[in-house]
Amino acid sequence: CQKQLDVNPRERILETSYYQNQQEAFTGLVAVYDQLGNQSSGYLTKLNLFSSASDDHFAGADSPSDLGDMQVMNNYTVNSLSGGPSYLWSKGFTGVYRANILLKKIEGITMDASTKARYIAEAKALRAIFYFDLVRIFKNIPLILAPVEPSGMFDVTQVAPADVYKQIETDLTESLSALPVTIPTADAGRLSQGAVHAVLGKVYLWEEKWGPAAAAFALVNGTAPGASTYGYKLLPKFADLWNWKNKFNSESILELSYNTTSNMGWSNVGSREGNVMGILVGPRNYVPVIAAQAPDYVSGWSVMPITKELFDLIHYDPRNKPTVANLDSLEKAGIVTYKHANDNTGYFVEKYAGRVSTKAAVGQLELNFGQNMYEIRLADTYLMEAEALLKSGAAVGSGTRAYIFLNAVRARVGLNPVAVTMDNIMKERRLEMVAEGQRWFDLVRWGLAPTKLAFKGFQANKNETLPIPQAELNNTKILQSKEWGGTK
Amino acid sequence: QDIPVTGKVTEQNGSPLPGVTVKLDGTTRAASTDANGVFSIQAPVGGKLTISLIGMAAQTVTVPADGRINVSLTADSKDLTEVVVVGYGTQKKALVTGSISSVKAKDLESMPINRVEQALQGRTSGLTIASGNGQPGSASTVRVRGFTSFASSGNNDPLWVVDGVIVDNGGIGYLNQSDIESIEVLKDAASQAIYGARAANGVIIISTKKGKEGRLSINYNGFYGTQAPAKKLKLLNASEYAMIRNEAYSNSFNAATDGTFTLPYSNPSSYGEGTDWQSVVFNDDARRQTHEFSVSGGTNKSTFYTSFGYLDQEGIVATPISNFNRANIRINSTFKPAKWISFGENLGYSHSVNSSLGNTNSEFGGPLSSAIHLDPITPVIQTDPTAIGKSPYTIANIIKDPATGFPYGISGPVGQEMSNPLAYIQTRLGNYGWDHNIVGNAFLEIEPIENLKFRSSLGTKLAFYGSESYTPLFWLSPSNTNTKANFYREMNMTINYNWENTISYSKSYGKHHAYAILGQGYYMDNNNRGLNVRFNNIIAQDFYQSNLNYKPATADIQGDGSDATLHVVNSLFTRVTYDYDEKYLFTGIIRRDGSSRFGTNNRFGYFPSASIGWVPTKEGFWKENNIVNFLKLRGSYGITGNDAIGDFSYVSLVNSGRNYTFGTTDASIIGWSPAALSNPDLKWEETRQTDIGLDATLFNDFTLSASYFKKKTIGVLQTPSIPLYLGAAGGAAENVGDMQNTGIEFEIGYRKKIGELNLGINANLSTLKNKVTKLLPGREFIEDNAQSFQGMGNFTRTGIGRSFNEFYGYEVAGIFQTQAEVNAYRGPGGTVLQPTAKPGDIKFANLDGNESINGSDRTYLGSPLPKYTYGITINLAYKNFDFVAFGNGVGGNMIFQGLRRLDVTYGNWQNSVLDRWTPTNPSTTVPRVADKDLNGNYTKFSKNYLEKGDYFRLKTLQVGYNFPANVTKKIGAQKVRVYLMSENLWTITKYTGYDPEIGGTVLGVDRGIYPQARSFMVGLNVGF
Repeated sequence: CQKQLDVNPRERILETSYYQNQQEAFTGLVAVYDQLGNQSSGYLTKLNLFSSASDDHFAGADSPSDLGDMQVMNNYTVNSLSGGPSYLWSKGFTGVYRANILLKKIEGITMDASTKARYIAEAKALRAIFYFDLVRIFKNIPLILAPVEPSGMFDVTQVAPADVYKQIETDLTESLSALPVTIPTADAGRLSQGAVHAVLGKVYLWEEKWGPAAAAFALVNGTAPGASTYGYKLLPKFADLWNWKNKFNSESILELSYNTTSNMGWSNVGSREGNVMGILVGPRNYVPVIAAQAPDYVSGWSVMPITKELFDLIHYDPRNKPTVANLDSLEKAGIVTYKHANDNTGYFVEKYAGRVSTKAAVGQLELNFGQNMYEIRLADTYLMEAEALLKSGAAVGSGTRAYIFLNAVRARVGLNPVAVTMDNIMKERRLEMVAEGQRWFDLVRWGLAPTKLAFKGFQANKNETLPIPQAELNNTKILQSKEWGGTK
Repeated sequence: QDIPVTGKVTEQNGSPLPGVTVKLDGTTRAASTDANGVFSIQAPVGGKLTISLIGMAAQTVTVPADGRINVSLTADSKDLTEVVVVGYGTQKKALVTGSISSVKAKDLESMPINRVEQALQGRTSGLTIASGNGQPGSASTVRVRGFTSFASSGNNDPLWVVDGVIVDNGGIGYLNQSDIESIEVLKDAASQAIYGARAANGVIIISTKKGKEGRLSINYNGFYGTQAPAKKLKLLNASEYAMIRNEAYSNSFNAATDGTFTLPYSNPSSYGEGTDWQSVVFNDDARRQTHEFSVSGGTNKSTFYTSFGYLDQEGIVATPISNFNRANIRINSTFKPAKWISFGENLGYSHSVNSSLGNTNSEFGGPLSSAIHLDPITPVIQTDPTAIGKSPYTIANIIKDPATGFPYGISGPVGQEMSNPLAYIQTRLGNYGWDHNIVGNAFLEIEPIENLKFRSSLGTKLAFYGSESYTPLFWLSPSNTNTKANFYREMNMTINYNWENTISYSKSYGKHHAYAILGQGYYMDNNNRGLNVRFNNIIAQDFYQSNLNYKPATADIQGDGSDATLHVVNSLFTRVTYDYDEKYLFTGIIRRDGSSRFGTNNRFGYFPSASIGWVPTKEGFWKENNIVNFLKLRGSYGITGNDAIGDFSYVSLVNSGRNYTFGTTDASIIGWSPAALSNPDLKWEETRQTDIGLDATLFNDFTLSASYFKKKTIGVLQTPSIPLYLGAAGGAAENVGDMQNTGIEFEIGYRKKIGELNLGINANLSTLKNKVTKLLPGREFIEDNAQSFQGMGNFTRTGIGRSFNEFYGYEVAGIFQTQAEVNAYRGPGGTVLQPTAKPGDIKFANLDGNESINGSDRTYLGSPLPKYTYGITINLAYKNFDFVAFGNGVGGNMIFQGLRRLDVTYGNWQNSVLDRWTPTNPSTTVPRVADKDLNGNYTKFSKNYLEKGDYFRLKTLQVGYNFPANVTKKIGAQKVRVYLMSENLWTITKYTGYDPEIGGTVLGVDRGIYPQARSFMVGLNVGF
């Protein structure tokens, strides 16, 4: 009767019998990439959480408690039980685990050696990317470099942030040689040497290692604008960056990809590949009145309305129109109506607001926008190099690299050159990358968050990081950060 | 000299008693009464006839010269001859050494019971039963002697055995209550162990009615009635709502971020009463009806029982999309062509069709939740031309009232997925779910030599179920829209079966009586497979037009399917019973089960039990007296198991769906990664139970049954959540802890005839203390299957020394009265603990004594598990009238009152908010109102959310009238009874929600439960 009890698992595959060949290794690699674009079932993304916390946006939404996990980021009442920290922590460590399991299993797989080396390099670089977010968001984290055995799963302890940064640098540096220089379109989205150099530069910038940062960005940016070894070029038209068809364009370095065909529905938000930002940022109860003149926005949820302060700054900038959906003026002109929801300013995110014309054909249409999101793009690395050079004490006058690259970003939108000063760089970064998830991190990096974000309740020496999720402290050796009432 | 003796046996009230045995003393000659209560037998004048029927006091009468005898039997309070069903057999109640509670058909007659769980609630001790919700046809949560396991997926549900066929918990709803002959609840390990690996949560054995030898018996019972909600919440009217909204806005206004100060409503009192959304969703006249018809009879060679039942019940909430009907057919027959062989079948078929709200205890999306939250200012139907000309009424696909053509009112303030309930109903009209169930068995029994029986039984559950739905284009709110009309059909099937073979032998030698049974069983379940298809952009305009012949473009056809993993159990079992003179009693059981759910290391489990009994009243030294007529002391110990952990939990599986997109093809690439960690040492969950009790008859009229039990579960099976830093989607299933349940149970019966009044009272009381005694090393608590509420996070926790899923949150230290109090509330180091608080906000206790109010200040706040449950039934009969009152209750538990959503800031309030803190109303426990809850008055789970859950409910009240025999004879009937009945007439509780009876994995979590209806019915019972 023993035999009768051996039932057929019906296509459920045992871990011990998986990871046998190159194809299975590849599916393991895809699972690591999957975490890059991960969105929570409650519509949370790294971008919308930290945008809500910044001075460029409010959390918005329908009411002060709608999408509460974004509201607590906005008003700085986030705590260790909030959904945001838990999502970000889980997103990062899930990515780390998937990289670790692949790195462990791939050793035993017989496959083409250079492909194997490339998979290993990608897994390591992705692990570094996850750790980079984890360490800057939570500061005190464990550093796990292999799948934890169940027997030791409660014994994991945190390490000094410096150790994490060191491992990130090691992983990124080690991965470089096995990665391709450029990626053919069919594989676009996978890591190249250029992307890894850009990540490395950004890591150095956070560590205030100005020289290495400038050097890494120099590799990415090339000898002159448009002359990158990796083929990176600014798109001639700023607005084209936001045409969802222009995926993996020449300006894109590290891009989070989404698609319209994964059939996401209300019950499986976050577990499929549609981009939820399209519906989130659209104006609520949007109705075209004069159809011919009204943009074809999908009626959305009014998340991340743009602050009046930012609008006043960008209003007369050439990037205004591709950046801001100005519902205020459309409504005043009698062209459209929409609901003035929570923290309404009348200004919404234009860059990726969902459009009727870009809606998916299958699934819950408003959840399946296929627009990709930039994690790092060339204008960003141009500006970061200028900043690194300035901070490193390099010459920044007219004709220097810092000057040329800062002003290349401006020239693309038809603006005159300006001098390389921190103020100019900061302003350029802000206007160039509205709603791209950089602003809050920039303010923290520059030490300006306590002043710029005081109106929202930001407290210095506390809100620079998020609390470690309460569930992680339960029954484990993980300690809460001092800033959040703990001892670490 | 024998003469033909004829006679009639009746009950006290004159109704005939069929199946009564009439035996001539000193001979084996016997006869039984037919459906009219009539018997005939050959007997000598002056001979003694013993007239007996189970449950009735036997009488001995002397045969008179004319051979005519009429006897009226009275109920026997001693019930010593009563037989109870035990696993794989029956046993005389007087000899039972386990703890078994019974409910008989007589107790259920004409009761308004749609599902079998309701037949048990309050009628036996040892059970905690709470209706899942008031949606017609929905299941109840049933716990036998507490919780033995942590996990949610059925692990705590008892094993249901219907005529020997194991039926999964969700599938028990197919039974028709009037087909039930008896229900036995096996509560202690000694009774359960015969079901071994699946018995730890208790076993409930249901026997359906069989035909009896004699004349055809034809019965009809039916009732018809109306239902209404028993209670409405007290919600704010429109002007109160506007006033509170203004106050909440003002209290949160921040000039730095909020622009100009503009009150939401400039003149609150102008709105008057506004819309009462509850009366929009509730139906005060929802109909229900039940009809049951049966025919039974038999000869000494064969018997049959066949029945047809139909019930139809409308829901009281959103009736057009909440209703249920079920039709049943049953055919039970036995054949005994020769003395040594019998065979037959018990076969039940049911077909049900239901429309369900879906979210019956959920804060999300249901019409009831919308009715609680929608602002009372929005009209049900928007007829104002100015409003109709503007957004949102100009948005495409808004829903209009079919009668008037005007759009249904759309709330401005309340969004999310909430919507006008009438509009919501329009989007789901016609959608339904259905099922066909065939559950039954066929058996063969051979008795080659006397007392040696071989029995083989093949049982099956064959189920087909599915649903059909049409979703029109609609716009209900920004986050509740559909832009592609679609039609969806789902079909599933299950074929489970079990095959059991037993051999038994009984032998009496003098005063020694012994019985042994040896059996083998093979069980296969979860054999499910399903297919579904969705046609998008279907051209049909509504559900009734939709069908799959309207082919859309290929890209608009989506299909999917599913296969479940088989669950197989292989068993050997034996039971031995012995008694000496019915005085010293012993039962021993051992079962060996193998389950497909465990790895080869721990695949088989052994489940032994033993029980003993002693009947001192049978001893020579016990003088017959009128105080203690009968006394039995019993004790048992045994081990039972539980394998309900899910399949392949002992290994790590890899899952797909970790997809990503490369390139510009706009398509997903499939990624795989492990789903969980593995644990090859996973083993059986074991429950060890000690039971001590007594059964007694006192003062001739009282019966008393009392038990004490201690039940300890070792190695509770659970897939505990693991730290997120491990990154794996899930942990391995583990034997994570030990848990103990202890309790005392009483069942008391009293029967008395006072003149023409027959009085019967049955009452029961059970206590339960549930405690987790051990968890894995290093773990003080677990939060798996914990309950959470929107942004609040988990608010229940299972900790060592605590009961399963106790409420866990912040203690309230009061309400801040002044800003000075806020500023003075500091940690030991001087940090202001609640810097964002304002006067009127909750002061949370700083339990960990550090410098902040955070997660570690939370504590255990009470248990959702009732400390005691009880029930009482009173039967009265006077001449032709009869009366039944039945009530049940629970006490000592807490309920989470989660009727207001945290993320719907502008939703309506319950009128308790009128007692909110204001400078002029300082002594209150209700914090101030504020749009932005920076202090967490509501977003932090505090004791303010908990209420006492004690209740007593008058469940059924029935008054009947039996037409006298001279009237019924005119239409040829034996019995004609009419009755009036009310269900849930009256509930005593302090709980402020709709209904204090809330089932679920964790009891007592109210997210807006669909309440049970109060109904009034009129019924008719006719027997031929």
